[in-house]
Order: sequence, then structure tokens, then C-alpha cells
Amino acid sequence: MSVLDLPRLWRPATHQALFRRILDVAARPGRIADLSDLLDGRPAALAALATFCDNTQTLADLTGTLTRTDLAFLDVGRAAPDAAGFILASGAEPPDLAPRLGTLDAPEGGATLVVLVDSLSDGPELTLRGPGIKGTGTLAPQGLAPGWLAARARWCADFPMGVDMILTDATRLTVLPRTTQIEGA
Amino acid sequence: MHPADTMGQSRDGAEYGFGFLDEDAKRELRRTIFKAVCIPGHQVPYASREMPIARGFGTGGMQLTLALLGPDDTCKVIDQGADDSVNAANIRNFFALTCPGVTGTLRTEEASVIQTRHRIPELPLRADQILVFQVPYPDPLVVVEPNAATRRRMHGRADYARLWVKLYEDMVAFDEITISHRYPTRINGHYIIDPSPIPRWDVPKLHQAECLYLFGAGREKRIYAVPPHTDAVPITFNDVPFRVEDFTDRKTGRRHCCRRCGAGDSFLDEFLDDAGARVFQCSDAAYCDMRLERQEAAE
Repeated sequence: MSVLDLPRLWRPATHQALFRRILDVAARPGRIADLSDLLDGRPAALAALATFCDNTQTLADLTGTLTRTDLAFLDVGRAAPDAAGFILASGAEPPDLAPRLGTLDAPEGGATLVVLVDSLSDGPELTLRGPGIKGTGTLAPQGLAPGWLAARARWCADFPMGVDMILTDATRLTVLPRTTQIEGA
Repeated sequence: MHPADTMGQSRDGAEYGFGFLDEDAKRELRRTIFKAVCIPGHQVPYASREMPIARGFGTGGMQLTLALLGPDDTCKVIDQGADDSVNAANIRNFFALTCPGVTGTLRTEEASVIQTRHRIPELPLRADQILVFQVPYPDPLVVVEPNAATRRRMHGRADYARLWVKLYEDMVAFDEITISHRYPTRINGHYIIDPSPIPRWDVPKLHQAECLYLFGAGREKRIYAVPPHTDAVPITFNDVPFRVEDFTDRKTGRRHCCRRCGAGDSFLDEFLDDAGARVFQCSDAAYCDMRLERQEAAE
């Protein structure tokens, strides 16, 4: 199979384009990246995982939405949620997990949570503060159970340890790094 | 076109994948960059790859740039502010060879990714631009603690007491903090970074910037970042304000100006001309050229 035969989501050029958009919104929490032109109908959450995962990483899929083909392409190790580097979860129910938070010496070991919500806009408005945000920013995700924000605040209470969240709806994505302080809802 | 600019003249038949690095390497770099942005100022370890130039000549910056570049990008490479010095010109040629489609530029305002050694461009960078630093020594604590594991522990606990003592000893001995470049800078109130050997002049540009700053140390295998709109404060004492380089002429009391473009607001290089006289010139060549062009257009 040549590179051209690969479905678009698994081509190197797509990963580069995805990464630049994810990096842009990771550096500016609250901003939303529209990935629809790169996805060919696949979910944005899968695109985020495709950008970052390979056989050196571990993933816990709590949604059961990844197909066997997706997992074969991701070529990622499976792990329990408390040991995984990446966690794919649904935002509809409050989280019942204890993700990796890293250590003081190596906070980069904190998990990356990819959380699926109904929509990244038109929900209850949250106020964001922290690095990457000029003054204050806003985000209004729809379908994110309030328990998520409380749990995230608990996980990220001891900077530099914490988790980094990637919120996605069907075609869009935004990043909440561990440094972002969230108020409201 | 500038003689040093060979970008866009990608040689035919070069058997490299786009961006030279393999996709696994790029993905690891991207994961590392992501964590570095999420933990501002933290030196995230990564598996620095062998590059076709020696470590210490900008391999960390090159790996970052190669993980970022796509065919739509416009790339600029500077060394001490200049586009045409050996390090910058060769790295730019390497990107031209391995990243077909990427446009090269000498103009700061046209670039989407700028790789730099030891300067931040004078022109304020925009939100759609990324500045990649080549970093020789990523750890500011190396002057006070030789053990890497101990330094990591000190960083995690934001324990910078010994660095403060170092600054205090400077005050006792010289009445002045004697760090000229690589000035320790505190990011978002926690980590202190080595902002690479930029002059003091450039340190305030890290604070609450519009653009993203990425730092790559290839030999030391570390990546760190200063996101936009993030506090970056050079550490100093309450009664000792941070000072940047002073270009005042002691004889006339006026500031030296660039001998080419006349700029009185840029970081200047001082050197001797053929007659042995001291002369000053903009360190940022693109800024100097831009001012000259505008002056010519105005005439």
C-alpha cells in the first residue's frame, strides 16, 4: 500500500496539518480549531489520537467508539485508565477514573484526556484564565457533565502535576492545558 | 534576491521523505511540544535524533522546525539576527532540500515559522507566527547544581534559592547582576528557564507576547515553550531593576544609531571598520533592510 492509498486521516501530511491546528489552540486555550476539511467524515477525537499516538504510547478507550480498524491504524498499546498516557472518554457522564498526573520531577507524565462533547459552542459559558489567554477567555461546551470540571480542578490542583484535556465535538477541537483556570457553570 | 537565499530551489531527486525525519520521530516531537506548551517553562525530555549536522549547531531547533513545517509554510532562519551567516544559510538550504513546497523568506513579517539562534527579531511577532530557538544549554540551574536529577527535583519544587544566591553574590562582588545573555526568566510564576543566549534586550519580548516561542536543545534532549500571553519575568531583586543593554555614547550622551539605516531603537552590533573606528549596526539584518527599503521608497 503506497502512501496515496492510505485513508486521508492516516497520511503524514494530514498529521502535520492536524498538529499545527492542535498546537495553535493548545497555545491559546478557548480558541476552537475546525478540522472538518481534514477528517473525511471521521471524528475529530480520532484525529487528535492519530496525531499523537503510536506504538510507544498507551490508550484507554472508555467510550468503545474506536473500531478495530482505527485501533490497528493507531497501533497504540492498551492500558487501564489509571496507567494510560491517553484516555478517550465521553463528557456526558461525570468521570469515574484516576488518571496519571505525572510527578513533580516529570509532570509531562500526566495523561492527555480526549473528551467527547455534543458541541463546543452554545453551552453554558465558562470563563478561562491562564497562560495563552489575554485577560479572560470563554468557552461554552455543550454536553460536558459538571463533574468533569470539578474532577479536572482536583487533578490540576498541584501544578506542575495534572492532566491536559482535549475537548472535541464531531469536527472541532479545543485544548484545556493544566494551567487554565476555569470558572462558571 | 539575497545571495544566501536558496530556498525554493529544492534539488530534484533528493530521496528524503518530507521533513527529513521519520514519522515516528515527528510524532514524538509533536507529543513533546504539546506537553511543553501545556506546562509552560518545563523542560520536557525527548529522544533527540541524529541530524546531518553536529549536535550543538542547532539540531534541537531543526528538529522542532521539521516537526512543524508543512508545504504551506514560509520559513526564515536567522543566526544572531542575520539570515546569511553560515549556520543560518546552511540550515535554510537543508530545509529547502528536505521540505519541498516550503517557501523561504528573509522578511520577518512574511514568515510563519522562524528558526533563530541567539536573537528575537525586532519586529513584533504576530499570533500566526512561531519562533523556534536553538538552545545550547536548556537548564539555568546548571551554574549552581551539577547533578541533573537534583536539578529536575529543584525545578519541580520551584526551588531556585541557589540561583538567587548566585545573583546576590554578583551584587556583592560587582554591584550588578553580571549575566549578559541567557538571563534566567521565570515563566508563569513557576519554572525558571534559560531563554537561550539571547541578549537582555530580547528578554522582555518573551513576556505576554502574541506568538508562540518553542525552545529545542538537541544535544541536551530537551524541549520547552513559552506560550503567548504568558508571564515571563527576568528574575531580579525588588531594589535592583532589570536593565537591558545601554547603547548610549558616553562622550555625547546620545544613543548610538545604526550606521546603515540610522535606527535608534534596535539592538546594535559593535565592531571596528577598516579604518579602525568603532561603528554600530543593527544586529537584525531583516529589520535594517526593511528600514532602508522604506527610506528609499519615501525618497
